[in-house]
Amino acid sequence: MFSKILIANRGEIALRIIRAARELGFKTVAVYSEADRTALHTLLAHEKVCIGPAKAADSYLNVPNLLSAAEITKADAIHPGYGFLAENARFAEICQTSNITFIGPPAAAIRLLGDKNRARLEMKKARVPVIPGGDKILQDFAEAKKAAQQIGYPVILKAASGGGGKGMRIAHNPTQLEEQFPIAQNEARAAFTDPSLYLEKYLAKSRHIEIQVIADGYGNVRSFGERECSIQRKYQKLIEETPSTMVDPRLRRRMRAAAEEAVRYLGYQSLGTFEFLVDEKKDFYFMEANTRVQVEHPITEAVYNIDLIKAQLRIAAGQKLTIPEDQEMRGHAIECRINAEDPETFVPSPGKIDFLVFPGGEGIRVDSAAYCGWEIPPNYDSLVAKIIALAPTRQIAIKKMITALEMTTIVGIKTNLPLLLSILSHEEFQKGAYDTKFMDRFLAQKETAAHTAAPLEPGS
Amino acid sequence: MEKITINYDEILKLIALMEEKKLAHFELEVEGFKIKMCKNTAQTAAVMPDVRPAAGQPQPPANSLAARAEEAAAEQQAGLHYITSPMVGTFYRAPNPSSPPFVEPGEPVQKKQTLCIIEAMKLMNEIESDMDGVVQEVFVENAKPVEFGQRLFSILTTG
Repeated sequence: MFSKILIANRGEIALRIIRAARELGFKTVAVYSEADRTALHTLLAHEKVCIGPAKAADSYLNVPNLLSAAEITKADAIHPGYGFLAENARFAEICQTSNITFIGPPAAAIRLLGDKNRARLEMKKARVPVIPGGDKILQDFAEAKKAAQQIGYPVILKAASGGGGKGMRIAHNPTQLEEQFPIAQNEARAAFTDPSLYLEKYLAKSRHIEIQVIADGYGNVRSFGERECSIQRKYQKLIEETPSTMVDPRLRRRMRAAAEEAVRYLGYQSLGTFEFLVDEKKDFYFMEANTRVQVEHPITEAVYNIDLIKAQLRIAAGQKLTIPEDQEMRGHAIECRINAEDPETFVPSPGKIDFLVFPGGEGIRVDSAAYCGWEIPPNYDSLVAKIIALAPTRQIAIKKMITALEMTTIVGIKTNLPLLLSILSHEEFQKGAYDTKFMDRFLAQKETAAHTAAPLEPGS
Repeated sequence: MEKITINYDEILKLIALMEEKKLAHFELEVEGFKIKMCKNTAQTAAVMPDVRPAAGQPQPPANSLAARAEEAAAEQQAGLHYITSPMVGTFYRAPNPSSPPFVEPGEPVQKKQTLCIIEAMKLMNEIESDMDGVVQEVFVENAKPVEFGQRLFSILTTG
């Protein structure tokens, strides 16, 4: 096993990893930027090393400083969390050559799955269904037009080295495609320094459903029941739940089998997630694979009563998977992401938290690095807390979540709490009959309909 | 002896001079007259020792979390003119173990003069002074780990 783990991240995920590592008896090293001197991960790890100024490129993405920090603290493993360097194959390689265990999949797997186009081709080889579309990088609009004609409109342009919705553009006809092509190229160039685009059939009414996997170094593979992540705005997930209302046992078995097949084909290890689009006919298509722990992992932990991070740490230390096969999902879990942002305009709202009350009680889990008096720096993402509700049924879980959010009080910054509450109360959500376009419709409705009822306020 | 008097404008001039010379503290006492000026930030730094545990040393238990949060917040304000580490690594005061240190407290240094070496990624990085002055204090022991932004030397300007 490891003696000391350096966590190359911040915020709630750094705390999540510190917790798991401490429970397993490992010492922990926090790295922090100058903006995170008072951050909880900095204060709660056994040791801490400042690795640079506020700007992420100079601190949390500063590979030489991170490795030096591991060296001077004699850490033998680095957990990258999510974001930052989590899906950087080069970083994983550098860790390896420095004799530090990178807690994640092998660098080759990160590289392969990080290239969305190559990932598609490999998935096809592994007989995992992929979305119909051009299997090659498009050099110009003429090529894009030809490819779109072959698969039929609507189509979606995607950045080859993309993620997070950057460089994604939808076109319903050749005119729109001509307009969107250079925009998508520029977005891709700006976000990933790579303007390469490819094109796929766009599934209008579909769900974003993903399968969590974990695999050890001995060929043991486990997959878990789906996470439904269709409530998203600009490809940023807001609410996730498990199980999905549209996945029946047969579809679940097929999706899990496809994900496990992909893991075996790739020789993948560690935690990972295979994201699929599922259409109305319950056909599913591989979208992309995430080679890291995901923000929404706690809902899977909730319904399976497992600790994915601890399992990941054990596997990284060379142990065998101990999670039993064919466990049943127990109950229904929902996660809401509380962001520091204006609920109307979505403008980030960093600043000092003057008063803070998180919910609790049976079936409620809060993953957060926020505390009363802490100042949320403007330099990083706006996630303040994840609230996870677990209950025997979906209906009770929704009630539990609404109650939890109503009892949450965050003063000093704006949060999306009112938005989350109105989504949870929305008829489409309550029925579980939503798709990835839910937020577009929801926000359009909100704009047209004048506010008849004010959002729920705690204590009102 | 002639009695010293001082007017408002002269006090302002003294304040400006403190700023210019990067002085943290100024005190003058003669018969019948006493003036004492301290910079707020400087005072905090001068009174409070650097309580940051060096990287690699265990931290106090979590029950003092609130205290440590406050302490960390206070550190943020401490902003004297120090030579700080531009990287994470190991601090060396001399070019090799048998050589004397690059500088000792009390010695004058010039801008661009090497003050120490920080080893990171197997590379020896020479850290230079960014001003002319006199070394006041060396904060880190030889061969100890340093983090980004950690104070290495304090220098009093002579410019």
